[in-house]
Amino acid sequence: MRIAVDAMGGDHAPQEVVKGCVKAAGLLDNTELILVGEQRVLEQELGRCNWSGKGISIHHASQVIEMNEHPAMALRKKKDSSILVSTMLVKAGQADAVVSCGNTGAQMAAALFAWGRFDGIDRPAIGTLIPRYEGHTVLLDVGANVDVKAEQLVQFALMGRAYAEVALGIKDPKVGLLSNGEEETKGNQVTLAAYARLKSLEGINFAGNVEGRDLFSGRADVVVCDGFFGNAIIKVMEGLMSELMKRMLDAGINPKQFLQDFDYSQIGGAPLLGVNGVSVVCHGSSRAEAVYNGIVQAERCVTREMVTSLKQSLAII
Amino acid sequence: MVEEFFEQARKILAEQLGLEPESITWDTTFDEIDADSIDIVEMLMALEDIYDVEFPEDNLEDYKTMGTLIKALYQVISAK
Repeated sequence: MRIAVDAMGGDHAPQEVVKGCVKAAGLLDNTELILVGEQRVLEQELGRCNWSGKGISIHHASQVIEMNEHPAMALRKKKDSSILVSTMLVKAGQADAVVSCGNTGAQMAAALFAWGRFDGIDRPAIGTLIPRYEGHTVLLDVGANVDVKAEQLVQFALMGRAYAEVALGIKDPKVGLLSNGEEETKGNQVTLAAYARLKSLEGINFAGNVEGRDLFSGRADVVVCDGFFGNAIIKVMEGLMSELMKRMLDAGINPKQFLQDFDYSQIGGAPLLGVNGVSVVCHGSSRAEAVYNGIVQAERCVTREMVTSLKQSLAII
Repeated sequence: MVEEFFEQARKILAEQLGLEPESITWDTTFDEIDADSIDIVEMLMALEDIYDVEFPEDNLEDYKTMGTLIKALYQVISAK
């Protein structure tokens, strides 16, 4: 298996991305990492690591899409950007997946432009698994689309349902729409319209509106929201976990025993759902451990044939 | 000729947005039809394929209506 890693994307790129790749090269026997970015810089970074010399190659890309750039327009202007080149390697059959900690919008747009989308899906969503006491809840979208239309929320619901089946093995998952109350009349204009659509949609086990706390209650196996709220949710969780860790340490309690599951560096990243390929989105501030686990996620998505399985699951509806 | 180009472009954009092509006119703004930058770039990519041309990397976000963008793009095709 070959995984193209956007080595220039992210707050701590390329140093931490290269370190994460070196760890992956040492532990993942059947996987080759293709570091995509400025060749000279990446050679220097590899030279600083304790790299065995195996499992990593470099593919030169001279440009980077910065975090503050407008994704679609930047991709048009920077055709040699590391995220676009990484994505095109998959299109050309020279890689099996992409991993990036860079501009999420650019990662999504690159996947759309290069690979295309599933039939009936306007925009891909980033789907993440939120640990709860018993099992996980799928939350999407956690950042690909900050403004959505009602129909796109419906599409996210369908993709989330498929992802819960494929990733968690849940038959007929319950799908909830994130809102500011459980009542049908609650929500904003977009969610109210999405609710009406989901309520009448056959083939989906619609649990109605759910509230933020229901990410952990089990009321729904899948929680759907736009990328603005989804991203805010996961960032609140990160902040809360950090706060809890400090307090537990003060109390002499080892937080790892309880909070390990919520550590984003252990989760690594989350896949883009709805495009014809595997693209794992990692946190922009990822360091080596998170990059390594993002690569593990990508490997898992390829091995489990996630794209094919999602399409099969969606086709049933 | 430019009318034919406009028809092609609006058909592509309408299909992307789930609209009737007739609802997109020369004066329609992209905001009015909820077309974001991804929609616009995908439309451009489709037109580039059809006309075998590469549009310049101008500030596409400065074009607010279908008409202004199409006219600018058509000039590129005419100059080919």
